[in-house]
Amino acid sequence: MQSHLIKFLVKRAVRDAALLPLTIVAITVSLLGGCAGVQSTFSTFGVEAEATRKLTLVMVVAGVLITIGMGWFVVHAVRAPPGRLNHTSGMRVILWLGAIGPAVLLTVLLVSTLPMMKTLPVNDDDLEIAVDGKQFWWGVRYLLPDKQVVETANEIRIPIGRTVNFTLTSPDVIHSFWIPGLAGKVDMIPGRSNNLVVRATKAGTYRGVCAEFCGLSHARMAFDVIAMQPAAFDQWLIDAAEPATAVDGPGRQLFEDYGCNGCHTVRGHFTASPIGPDLTHFGSRLSLAAGTLPISVAAIANFIRNPAMAKPGALMPAFESMPAEDADVIAAYLMELK
Amino acid sequence: MSSTATTNPDQDDPAVRAAQEERLRAAWAPPRGFFFRWTDVNNSAVGVWYTLTAFGMMLFAGVLALIIRAQLVIPNNDLVSASTFNQLFTLHGSMMMFLFAVPMFEAVSILILPQLLGTRDMPFPRLSAFGYWSFLIGGVFVAGSIFFNAAPDGGWFMYPPLTTDPSLSGIGADIWMLGLSFIEVAAIAAAIELIVGVLKCRPPGMRLNLMPLYAWYILVVAVMILFAFPPLIAGDILFELERLLDWPFFDAARGGDPLLWQHLFWIFGHPEVYIIFLPSIALFAMIVPTFARRHLLGYPWIVLAAVGTGFLSFGLWVHHMFTTGLPNISLGFFSAASEVVAIPTAVQIFAFIATLWAGRVVWSTPLLYGAGALAIFVIGGLTGVMVAIAPFDWQAHDTYFIVAHLHYVLIGGSVMPLFGGLYYYWPLYTDKKLSDRLGRIAFWLMFVGFNVGFFPMHISGLMGMPRRVYTYSDEIGLNTLNLLSTVGAYLFALGVAVVILDLCLSPRRKLAERNPWKAGTLEWLSSPKKENWGVRCVPLVESRYPIWDEPGFVQNVDEGRHFLPDAEENQRELMITTVLDAEPLQVARVGGPSIKPMLAAATLGSVFILITFHLYAAALASGLAALVVILWWLWTGTGIIPEKAEKPVGRSIVLPLYSSGPASSGWWAMFITMTADATAFLSLIFGYFFYWTVHAEFPPAAQPGLVGPGTYWPTLALVLIAAGWAATIAARETNARGRIRLARIALSVAAIATGAGALAVLAGPWLAELDPTLHVYPAIVWVLAIWVAVHAALGVIMQLYTLARSLAGRMTRVYDGDVRNIVVYHHFLALSALITCIVIGYFPRLV
Amino acid sequence: MNAKLENRAQRLNSSLWALIAPLVTWGLHFLFCYIFTAVRCAKSGPFTVISDVRLAIGVATVVALLLVAASGYVAWAQSRVEGDLPPHDENTDEDRLRFLAVATLLLAGLSFIAIIFTAIPAFIFEDCQ
Repeated sequence: MQSHLIKFLVKRAVRDAALLPLTIVAITVSLLGGCAGVQSTFSTFGVEAEATRKLTLVMVVAGVLITIGMGWFVVHAVRAPPGRLNHTSGMRVILWLGAIGPAVLLTVLLVSTLPMMKTLPVNDDDLEIAVDGKQFWWGVRYLLPDKQVVETANEIRIPIGRTVNFTLTSPDVIHSFWIPGLAGKVDMIPGRSNNLVVRATKAGTYRGVCAEFCGLSHARMAFDVIAMQPAAFDQWLIDAAEPATAVDGPGRQLFEDYGCNGCHTVRGHFTASPIGPDLTHFGSRLSLAAGTLPISVAAIANFIRNPAMAKPGALMPAFESMPAEDADVIAAYLMELK
Repeated sequence: MSSTATTNPDQDDPAVRAAQEERLRAAWAPPRGFFFRWTDVNNSAVGVWYTLTAFGMMLFAGVLALIIRAQLVIPNNDLVSASTFNQLFTLHGSMMMFLFAVPMFEAVSILILPQLLGTRDMPFPRLSAFGYWSFLIGGVFVAGSIFFNAAPDGGWFMYPPLTTDPSLSGIGADIWMLGLSFIEVAAIAAAIELIVGVLKCRPPGMRLNLMPLYAWYILVVAVMILFAFPPLIAGDILFELERLLDWPFFDAARGGDPLLWQHLFWIFGHPEVYIIFLPSIALFAMIVPTFARRHLLGYPWIVLAAVGTGFLSFGLWVHHMFTTGLPNISLGFFSAASEVVAIPTAVQIFAFIATLWAGRVVWSTPLLYGAGALAIFVIGGLTGVMVAIAPFDWQAHDTYFIVAHLHYVLIGGSVMPLFGGLYYYWPLYTDKKLSDRLGRIAFWLMFVGFNVGFFPMHISGLMGMPRRVYTYSDEIGLNTLNLLSTVGAYLFALGVAVVILDLCLSPRRKLAERNPWKAGTLEWLSSPKKENWGVRCVPLVESRYPIWDEPGFVQNVDEGRHFLPDAEENQRELMITTVLDAEPLQVARVGGPSIKPMLAAATLGSVFILITFHLYAAALASGLAALVVILWWLWTGTGIIPEKAEKPVGRSIVLPLYSSGPASSGWWAMFITMTADATAFLSLIFGYFFYWTVHAEFPPAAQPGLVGPGTYWPTLALVLIAAGWAATIAARETNARGRIRLARIALSVAAIATGAGALAVLAGPWLAELDPTLHVYPAIVWVLAIWVAVHAALGVIMQLYTLARSLAGRMTRVYDGDVRNIVVYHHFLALSALITCIVIGYFPRLV
Repeated sequence: MNAKLENRAQRLNSSLWALIAPLVTWGLHFLFCYIFTAVRCAKSGPFTVISDVRLAIGVATVVALLLVAASGYVAWAQSRVEGDLPPHDENTDEDRLRFLAVATLLLAGLSFIAIIFTAIPAFIFEDCQ
């Protein structure tokens, strides 16, 4: 990832000497900063994102060359002694450089990039995942060939090398489903159902975000994406289809006493109307509150008592009067749900 | 007209000239007094207020941006809350677009266009004043909402359902819709004025091939406004009907579709970009020849670029919707059009470069801003070509890459040229040059600050930073880039502060010479001895750069040796000429200072503001007051019968003082207004067929409240309105033949028929008991019926007004402008009744 | 024959409407392509193969290109009316006519390219995905 960014910046630096110092600073800090790149279009792990990354680089190089050329041309034009260019040759400059040149370049660009828009071919045995964008979290359902539905939330695991067909919907406002390293974004629009077909190529842990402004916590609506080896993925899916581990402690009771099960399903423990995220295997997830907080007892307990602190506008009610011990116990229960 | 006509001899006598000047001064004297000075309507006064107000709006919106950047300087910052942040970016974007960019172009054009065309004022000075007061009222209303924590917070494109659901968005959404709708109406008013100004108020001899390029650009932009703003106004109507009355246009659960808003918004929104960009390029087209010391090379190429961009910009809107899941082939069409539009843009840039190449370049501060703008704009244009490629846009869309792209385009393509224009035109209005030194310091601060601020955003966007986030996590590697962006933004602001300092120091500087840049176009006729009359006489123009090309031109104008050097009847007079060849047609008299435009803006503005607060009774009262004021304004200020039929204008030419029909500016204004109105109507029709397209069954299966109006009432309405239309035409014809009584009877019949038509068109959905809150089908049928009914009601008012004018002797056989103008209105009314009848009455039978 | 045709073209009345004719043709062609496709795809679903729509777009493209070429030809003929060399910046009938003709010719060129660009996607995509 770093190397591409550097190439990108270096070319930019060559382009414009006035910005050179700035660019050097930018390169240095991005090296020192060690950007994680889990949410970057430069660190690709899917076929579409990789194709787009290459296209980006080609266009950036072309853009840099054109800008250098224009800069040189302007300097030349300003310095040229008067009368060097007569009317006829002036017309020729406009015709060739202003009209014909761009027309040719744009034709090449258009004809070569339109086919990139074609959707990957889909087959019946592709993995089907339905994702629902809601204020401000993601409901995820794996639709298995035997009609079985495996529900989870705020985390998407996909196998590498296999085509995945996402069906994207939203019950409330417009969201946009974007995993920068995997493919471009597709909007989730109430009343409509959109599809995104992807294929991951490289295992790893990445991040997706909501890209369309959707309200107060738009900035806090992300999710973890884990691309896995096919065998590991198959095993994970079998586990995910299972009900929650049998835990029977005070936490489970408190979860019920405070009415958490009114909105959150924990398969095998509680069945709720699907208002809040499914928490069946919550303990095995990588983050809390749609990619916002780490999974830890303290973070979970704080979130339960005041969700709006981390996520303004979240629909989950605050449990400010809940004693801290109770919140800790519920949090511990949730972390046991592997 | 003949250009060989000799100069009137009396102009050689200084005493004669002094007497003429005295009369001109009296006719064009500005009103005085603490309050009455604000009733001025002259373009030089209104233009200055307009420009300063728009500049103030830019500073305000800029401060909002500085708060945004302060919030984003470090990750997880809590300087402002998420709610405040959402208001800040929504207001920043909305204000920069609606309260700065578009009004600024209109303001500058009102200010300089008459000078550029060697005329004394705009064709409808009171309309300019009305536009200004509307802008001020609406602008303060929208901008002020932030102080009450009530600003709109849905992003500047206000996507429903986030913004239509009252539980997710407060009164801010109404303020946005209603406040800005009001300003959009004012923008259309200004566009009408600019079109008529360019087409009909050019000086004799200024044929289309001699028109200053600025005028070409303004013509194109004003026409674009006519077609771009009405779809947004139609969208605003649907939007507010959903918010206020729960008509489900964008509610998917009841058959609505949020995407219709996106279509209507971006049919406006993309041309909008060019509406902002072209006027600034127009300033370029004035500045470059002056400092290249030669004619602009490739004049027809620039016209190609302006007209071509104007058209093509209407075929791009879906590139803002590449991620909404439309079929790839549809995206392909828009991707292709988005690429093509780069060609005219490249053409104009190379025309400027070729001009500099061919000329003798005099380096100057305005040119420095021009060069800087070009550098920034080229990068913005290239990233524009990139985002027009759909696969790239799927990544870049809604990220900081787009934020960077749009700021490169708008600051490079609009703000920097405007600053260049400020340095260039400042001496024209103050007779003092701004400081070259401060200008250059400001330029470099802005240029460096801009690039430091916005260039990193390209990278942060591609590194996964979505736009409109009030904060970002520490771990995704965006910290340094955001820090840089914030530093750059404050540097840029410092540059703007230096410009303001420069402006403040200006009164202390010494007077500059006349035409300090030694430019060749008409606006530089302006002399340091400030007079309110605009130009001493309307010149005869023989070249694109008369001051350069025609020896003695300035002196001849100063000595009143061309047209209209006098104001014998103490009237404000302009020359009206033909569209293609600027042959003199008429001397038009325009309105002087008046309080009516201000009153009209205040009463009409109140309607919008009161509706925001659901005070419907007060809004209705205010609406009636507005109607009364406007009728009073029209009755006393338009279609005035002159005391004599014609007058000599100099050079042995005699022109009529009155004209009606297509020869008059009023007829053109009506025609142009109705073109905009018809565009809004067609946008609603588009809405109907959009719903038909997305639904398998439209109209939906019959059940109570959903059954259409049938064919009887819509057909009856059509017949009645068509009868009213025919009777209005009959009134025009009989009146022209001197059968005045017959004309009055025809007008009465027309009013009755049209009024009955209004009721009949409403009777359809009313008697069918269509319930507009149930489903989008009844809602859209109701909207179309109401649209026609309201227009028919306005038509009745016009017919009765014309009848009253005839009875009062203010309209006669010869002086028949009123009836000719309302016939134009009724053509459009009949057409919309026909379309509505077919769509709501007969179309459901076909499908 | 050619000279006669050119002569007739030169005598056609040129105005601002002639200036925008090529672009209006582009606009109609563009709307036809977009609306026809959008309605078909919305009514029949993403996997529909739309050979008929693509054929219609092909025909519309040929028609539109011919119209633009015709208006370009008229403009070209008018730009050859007797008169001064460019730039057409004199206050004469000929210069005004020749200026409008040159501008129309340029716009016809732009419209020609734009129409071809609009048609390209119809060659590339076969269905409504």
